Amino acid sequence: MNVHQIVEAVLFASDAPLSADEIARADESLDEDQVEQAIRFLRAEYDDAERSFQIAEIAEGYQILTRSEFAPYLERFDNVPRPSRLSGPALETLAIIAYRQPIGRIEIEYVRGVGSAGVLKTLQDRELIEVVGRAEGLGRPVLYGTTQRFLEHFGFKSLEDLPRPEELPVVLRERIPLGPEEPEAPPAEGTAAVEAGDEASRDAPPVERADDDEGFSPTA
Amino acid sequence: MDLTVSEGTVPREGFLLVEIEKFQGPLDLLLHLIRRQDIDIFDIPISRITDQFLQAIRRIQAHDLDSAGEFLEMAATLVRIKAQMLLPRTAEDEEEDPRGELVRRLLEYEQIREISRRLSAAEADRARRFPKGFNPPRPRRPVAETPLQAAWDEVFEAALRVEMPLPRERQHRVSPRSVSMEDKIVLILDSLRETTRVEFSSLLRGFREKMHGVMTFLAGLELTRRRLLFLRQTAPFAELWIYRREDSGEDDAGTEADVEEQPVNRPDEGAAEA
Repeated sequence: MNVHQIVEAVLFASDAPLSADEIARADESLDEDQVEQAIRFLRAEYDDAERSFQIAEIAEGYQILTRSEFAPYLERFDNVPRPSRLSGPALETLAIIAYRQPIGRIEIEYVRGVGSAGVLKTLQDRELIEVVGRAEGLGRPVLYGTTQRFLEHFGFKSLEDLPRPEELPVVLRERIPLGPEEPEAPPAEGTAAVEAGDEASRDAPPVERADDDEGFSPTA
Repeated sequence: MDLTVSEGTVPREGFLLVEIEKFQGPLDLLLHLIRRQDIDIFDIPISRITDQFLQAIRRIQAHDLDSAGEFLEMAATLVRIKAQMLLPRTAEDEEEDPRGELVRRLLEYEQIREISRRLSAAEADRARRFPKGFNPPRPRRPVAETPLQAAWDEVFEAALRVEMPLPRERQHRVSPRSVSMEDKIVLILDSLRETTRVEFSSLLRGFREKMHGVMTFLAGLELTRRRLLFLRQTAPFAELWIYRREDSGEDDAGTEADVEEQPVNRPDEGAAEA
């Protein structure tokens, strides 16, 4: 038996992404490098043979997925697994969490300008976000972060796959960092919400904000 | 996103008509007002925008208090900034533009919105690629296996108690309806020839089968539909009266809906009896 056959068998039998490390557990003689090499081999083979499926890189792992051209045929069947699409508010909330995790509810609501408790509950129920810690300060509010399921849902390999702020077409030429500006002077007579928002951001634990210019905090 | 510039209905310049329900929140609305009018976001004419914002949220339904509160909060912020802009700024305090924080929030929100659009595209893309597998049928609750604790004779006795279902003799005979609605229509119309009203029960006298009642009632409804009469009942299960309709166009009350609840004395009833 070839290494690539073993790897193929493991990928075939799994219905969730598997990391190279996990695949290597199939046999004592396997290591990650061999697995990755085998995957490259298989990919080339599938492409040559014009197979209807590919090995996709998702959520820091590998998964066999059909090519998107076959969607119209597969969609006719009720029993093919199909994730349901997220609502606008859910996507908006996820976007904020993805870029700013760990982040608390108050801060999310300040960015969105609307209450978000219901959306957060839904996202948590769908395991797209999870509680990753608690902030210091009053009531020690919970902080949210994205999950593995989040990457799977959007087909991302890692958080690095998220669009980088600088590639966005929005008028952000004069770089407004997504991360809250720490030294920002609080508004002279701020409304309750403004103060609450600032409080939350100040209370947030010091995350790796070194790369603040990118507004990005990959949790690799 | 329907935004139409009203034409001459409102004298104020730059007034915009906005459908508030289509916005996800105050930031969304504000951003829309700004972008729609090609306003430089770094130099927002705060007075104009505040007026437009207040105009737009005037129509928020009072029952939607949660979102109304969110919009009102933004309105308060705008008014505060407007006031701050009016105050003469002393040169010494190097305070930032009162609009600074708002601009930062708007840009941030705009960016978040763009990112969520990208996420949506990625989601759609991923949804077109299928993993192996299938949706398992809904799991059924397993029947708890209970040990059989019965002696043979008990089982035997229980078996004897079970009555075998007798093969039911069923005769499906299709028989013509013995009572026709047409007959009942004639009966009702006949009995109303002399008088203006008749008791429903009096029409059933002499007929024993239930079907007669059913058909008489249906005939009554049918005639009501044809606006030849109306039905009246003072209370549920009280006597049902059938009234001849004098003038078919005059009174709309004589529809089926009136069968159940009707005030006892109506002016035209007195007139009919007089």
